[in-house]
Amino acid sequence: MADAAVLGDENVAGENSTNDHTADDHATDEHGAHYTSLGISNMKLSMWLFLGSECLLFGALISTYLLSKTRFLTELIAGNPNVVSTLPSALAEEMIHEGSVEPLFDIPFTSASSFILLMSSLTMVLAHKAVSEGNYKNTRLFLAATALLGSFFIAGQVYEFTAFYREGLTFDGNLFGSAFYTLTGFHGIHVSVGILMLVALLILSMKGKLQADRAETVELVGLYWHFVDIVWVLIFTIVYLVR
Amino acid sequence: MTNNTADSTWHSSMRQTILTPMIASRRSLRIAVFVVFGLALSACSEDKPLNTFEPRGPRAQSVLDIMWPVIWGIIFVVFLIVCVGGVALAWKNRVKPEDFDPDDLPEQVHGWFKGEIAWTVAPAIILAFVGVYTIIGIWDLETKNEPAELDVMVIGRQWWWEYRYDVDGDGFFVDADGDGEIWGVDGLGADGPGGIDGDSDDIEWPLEYILDPDDVSTAGELVIPAGVQVDLYMTSADVIHSYWIPRLNGKRDAVPGRYTTWSVEADAPGKYTGWCTEFCGLSHARMRMSAIALSADDYQAWFENQQAPAAVPAEGTPEFAGRETFKNLCMSCHIIKDGDLEYNDTEAGDPWPTSVPLIAKGAPDLTHFATRTSFAGAIYAQYRDINPDDDALDVSTYLDLPGNYRWNEAELRRWIKNAPDRKDANYENQQGMLPFPQLQEEELDNLVAYLATLD
Amino acid sequence: MAIIEEPLALPPGVTTSTSKPLGVFSRPRNATGLKDWLTTVDHKKIGIMYGAAAMFFLVIGGVAALLIRTQLAVPNNELLSGDAYNRVYTMHGTVMVFLVVMPIGAAFANYLLPLQIGARDVAFPRINAFSFWVFLAGGLLLNTSWFLGGAPDGGWFNYAPNNGVIYSPSHGIDFWNVGLLIAGIGSVSGAVNLITTVLNMRAPGMTLFRMPIFVWMSLVTQFLLLFAVPVLTVAQVLLMLDRNFSANFFNVSQGADPLLWQHLFWVFGHPEVYLMILPAFGIVSEIIPTFSRKPIFGYSFMVFSGIAIGFLGFGVWAHHMFVSGIGPVSVSAFSFATMFIAVPTGVKILNWLGTMWGGKLTLNTAMLFAIGLVVQFTIGGLSGVSHAVAPSDTQQTDTYYIVAHFHYVLFGGAFFGFVGGLYFWWPKIFGYKLGEKFGKWNFWMMVVGFNTTFGPMHILGLQGMPRRMQTYDDDMGFNLWNMVATIGAFILGVGTLLVLVNAFFSYRKWKADGRPDVGPDPWDARSVEWMIQSPTPEHNFDTLPIVTDLDEFWHRKYAEDENHKLRRIATGAEIAQPGNGEGVHLPAPSYWPILLAFSIPIIGYGVIFSLWLTIPGVLLMTAASFGWALEPADDLDIPHDDHTEALTHG
Repeated sequence: MADAAVLGDENVAGENSTNDHTADDHATDEHGAHYTSLGISNMKLSMWLFLGSECLLFGALISTYLLSKTRFLTELIAGNPNVVSTLPSALAEEMIHEGSVEPLFDIPFTSASSFILLMSSLTMVLAHKAVSEGNYKNTRLFLAATALLGSFFIAGQVYEFTAFYREGLTFDGNLFGSAFYTLTGFHGIHVSVGILMLVALLILSMKGKLQADRAETVELVGLYWHFVDIVWVLIFTIVYLVR
Repeated sequence: MTNNTADSTWHSSMRQTILTPMIASRRSLRIAVFVVFGLALSACSEDKPLNTFEPRGPRAQSVLDIMWPVIWGIIFVVFLIVCVGGVALAWKNRVKPEDFDPDDLPEQVHGWFKGEIAWTVAPAIILAFVGVYTIIGIWDLETKNEPAELDVMVIGRQWWWEYRYDVDGDGFFVDADGDGEIWGVDGLGADGPGGIDGDSDDIEWPLEYILDPDDVSTAGELVIPAGVQVDLYMTSADVIHSYWIPRLNGKRDAVPGRYTTWSVEADAPGKYTGWCTEFCGLSHARMRMSAIALSADDYQAWFENQQAPAAVPAEGTPEFAGRETFKNLCMSCHIIKDGDLEYNDTEAGDPWPTSVPLIAKGAPDLTHFATRTSFAGAIYAQYRDINPDDDALDVSTYLDLPGNYRWNEAELRRWIKNAPDRKDANYENQQGMLPFPQLQEEELDNLVAYLATLD
Repeated sequence: MAIIEEPLALPPGVTTSTSKPLGVFSRPRNATGLKDWLTTVDHKKIGIMYGAAAMFFLVIGGVAALLIRTQLAVPNNELLSGDAYNRVYTMHGTVMVFLVVMPIGAAFANYLLPLQIGARDVAFPRINAFSFWVFLAGGLLLNTSWFLGGAPDGGWFNYAPNNGVIYSPSHGIDFWNVGLLIAGIGSVSGAVNLITTVLNMRAPGMTLFRMPIFVWMSLVTQFLLLFAVPVLTVAQVLLMLDRNFSANFFNVSQGADPLLWQHLFWVFGHPEVYLMILPAFGIVSEIIPTFSRKPIFGYSFMVFSGIAIGFLGFGVWAHHMFVSGIGPVSVSAFSFATMFIAVPTGVKILNWLGTMWGGKLTLNTAMLFAIGLVVQFTIGGLSGVSHAVAPSDTQQTDTYYIVAHFHYVLFGGAFFGFVGGLYFWWPKIFGYKLGEKFGKWNFWMMVVGFNTTFGPMHILGLQGMPRRMQTYDDDMGFNLWNMVATIGAFILGVGTLLVLVNAFFSYRKWKADGRPDVGPDPWDARSVEWMIQSPTPEHNFDTLPIVTDLDEFWHRKYAEDENHKLRRIATGAEIAQPGNGEGVHLPAPSYWPILLAFSIPIIGYGVIFSLWLTIPGVLLMTAASFGWALEPADDLDIPHDDHTEALTHG
């Protein structure tokens, strides 16, 4: 008993220890949700776990980007013709001169689209608040706003990709191109999936299937959405701002 | 290995018999052949040539010195206590099914806190000691000669090793962009010049464009003076390989796009075999190498010999015809430096001569082919102890060697004719050697005759 | 993407739902036979399917192993060409790791976790089914490479740049890449599901520190999967982009660093090693106390050492790269860190011995396998210490010494534990015991075969025989021990087959005897899965047990009498639940998990062969996702409130 008694005494006291009672007694708590051992719903717990897993995914991608960019710049500056020839000479010269990939970027533009994405986190919070309060009109308004702001961000990314491509940065040309498009593209796919989820919620809401008791579903999508936003803050800093 | 008597006997017999006038006129080359050949014989007696428990150099010895206390002091003792003790315990405490009594319970012990702490802390302390010892060992293995004594560049290729010796002391690299800076091994850290923090003006990169064509290059066998620590600067031209001569040191990978450093030292002259130990594709199992340690004098003779250009056979001889065949068929991959066959289309002033991938191109430099003890990625011996009566094919007419030792001409012929049959290759993909089914017997005769002159 | 749903297995409670039900399609009902297995969401059936699939892949991996050993029996053997050998050894490693050992762990976890924590199913039954089918889909896709242009040839570690299209132009590595990417989806979704189950669905009173050790070890395992697999996913995505879409991540001529692959792979690969062994640790931690008739020695130390192994497992990956040239600073740090993995592992081994100390041991087959694990794993662990010493690792790495080491850990350790677990839980799963006589043969043949195969490899490795060698020369001194190892491998092969032979004959005998009831508690066991009938009823527990103790079931059977002497107060059969599932509501089967899972390999083939093929894959995937989302929570004719919010994203 020693170990179990010392370490496992969380809620023995209040428990009736006969066998007659069943778990059904624990099936509900005061909020009407199902009984769970940790007190948070299975869905919320699993969303947190999933996001934990995603952290490693983006961590590995960001590490790959940092390494690839550094190696690319080293080669470029050393004048490796394999690398230099993958960029238009003007761009290559500028990058060599600056010692960074920054000449490619349009920081004000990306800052603006980043700001839009961050604002969508705000509307996401408002959507959850609205649905919890039973204000379904505002729920739809803020869900639509979040999806729209996300779409603006994606549109900005598509524009940026085409602009970079025209400037001469191709996906298969060099290490930096591969790493840049992969990292930001992965993030873009995550945002797009988030938009799909928001649109699904919006449709449910319009059909009257998204009411206060399903506020948690909105909260879950919100968790995902905030996560994606936070990842963008990291990516924006690392890719665009850090030289 | 050799003694002077044998040396001189061997010489006189050589003079009398051997073929072309120019060989007779280059005594020093014969010394080299002999030295290497003598070692090949001595290596044959080794029972387990790769045994890690029989170090023949200080580096391998230091590794073993760390290994033994761990193996005997910790592993074996714990093995005895836990494994033998555990089995004995299980046997002692067993209850036969017929003696089983549900009410006869053993004492219900849940744990022993002090014991748990003890067997958590005690191993941790022991391992901390081993750890300190280990870290000292790790740093010891990284020490280089200060100042440099002999540096060799080692380049892994599918599926053979190239070695480069810096002859003129200007480093392994050409000052390709003409800025007066030659990036050499002196500025090399363990991680090589890849970091952006390094002074990138000094970095001549990437390697394959700028290796110094004036250096000596050989293949398969690393020739080193005995008793001297030789520092290796390693990289790869294709996939990752790993350089391992177990009797001289542990292994270290040769990684493309990076430089790794390692060193070997042999206590005494001898031949020490090794094997590529990082999986490197199709013929990984046929990528071998060896280190040949020579006495200081022998090494000097060998080194001077390596710097000499190959002799051009007299016109009209079979050897000359063989050289023509070489020109036609082999030169797109191999190189023989005789002042003429030398592959050199580097345009003057071109800082990135992309048309010269490596000085040895895709295949070994054969300038001093006959001075090596093995060929084809060190998988076939060049000189074998055979009974001439058994296999007429194996009797070489090109080199007269003592006893039953013969030049392994038969294997060489088979190799040239159909290399992928002897060693799996993806020659379409420039991995491994092409087959030459179109070679006529006479052409092959001439080619082999020519190769025999390359000493 | 993420598919989220509420648990379906909970009994109907009062809800305040005002939303309309989401369901549109009806779910398959009263399915029988094959359809039952294909649409089931029952964690027990899914567990059995994981096991059966693993056995199928074990045969493939085993044949590959015997081919390797046959090739190496004599020097200069020409049975397998270099090319064939590379493919066979690659598949042996890949199949054994990803499609045998990992799913056997998943099989035990799926079957036992809900039972041991007193739950009726996992948190997300449909996702559970999806995880299995997607694993199977990935495994099958990988194995179709045998017929579609050749198996992968880059080794299970698949180092760059040898895995690039230049050095491995056949499609083999694409299959490796895509197959494992797909299987990885199943691993992550399974991990999310099982962690949620263990953390959230424990029976009343089942606090974390009353959970059986097997639950703890599986929990750590699932966390390792959750955090390790995404890193492999990234590595494989990069490789896929390189191979199939001309990216440059491992293109050295563009300045790429091949060590990136090694870092990513081993950040995954080392936790991978622990997530293969930890479930087996859990299994023997159940077997040894049961057959020693004592509680596990030092429960909390067993738990914390398992957690410590999990944490340390993420900090030692570079010990696979001691000779890669990562610099002496890194080597020193990782060497030092690696040594300390030995500490929690040693604690576990000593605690198993402590459990047997003073015990009254029943040496039946399950217990023999458990002791086999303790002894053989210790040997593997000790040789591991010798590679943690980095200088000595420079001599040992990539030799047969390493092959010996990890087979002692993964076969002598994990696999022996799994077979022990089979003997232990077989009556619970199938309702009859596996024969003891065959069992003893099984054990001793495996012990003899195993040690004859892998014991000599220690010697071979130290004598300098490198790994991954298609052949070796006559004069290298390797001949004798290679021949011995090959003989051992065939003994081991027969010994392993005896598991299946035993299952077959035991079943036949049981059937001939008129299917006698093995009873709920054939071993006088300790945890709550033994207080229900055997084989496990479909609904698991009639009523969820209320737990007051570690080893709850044992404490219901034994108590101190007035003289403070422990006595049996009831047999297991007396206090077991009768298996009456009336009123218990179970989740209905579903078509969509298998359909969704098998849409993914179609996309996979599209990536390998032609992007056009991805179109039907994506269409099927979309359809299955909608079907999944719009599926009703349950059979409509059972009146109860809608618990389910199902939503499909992407």
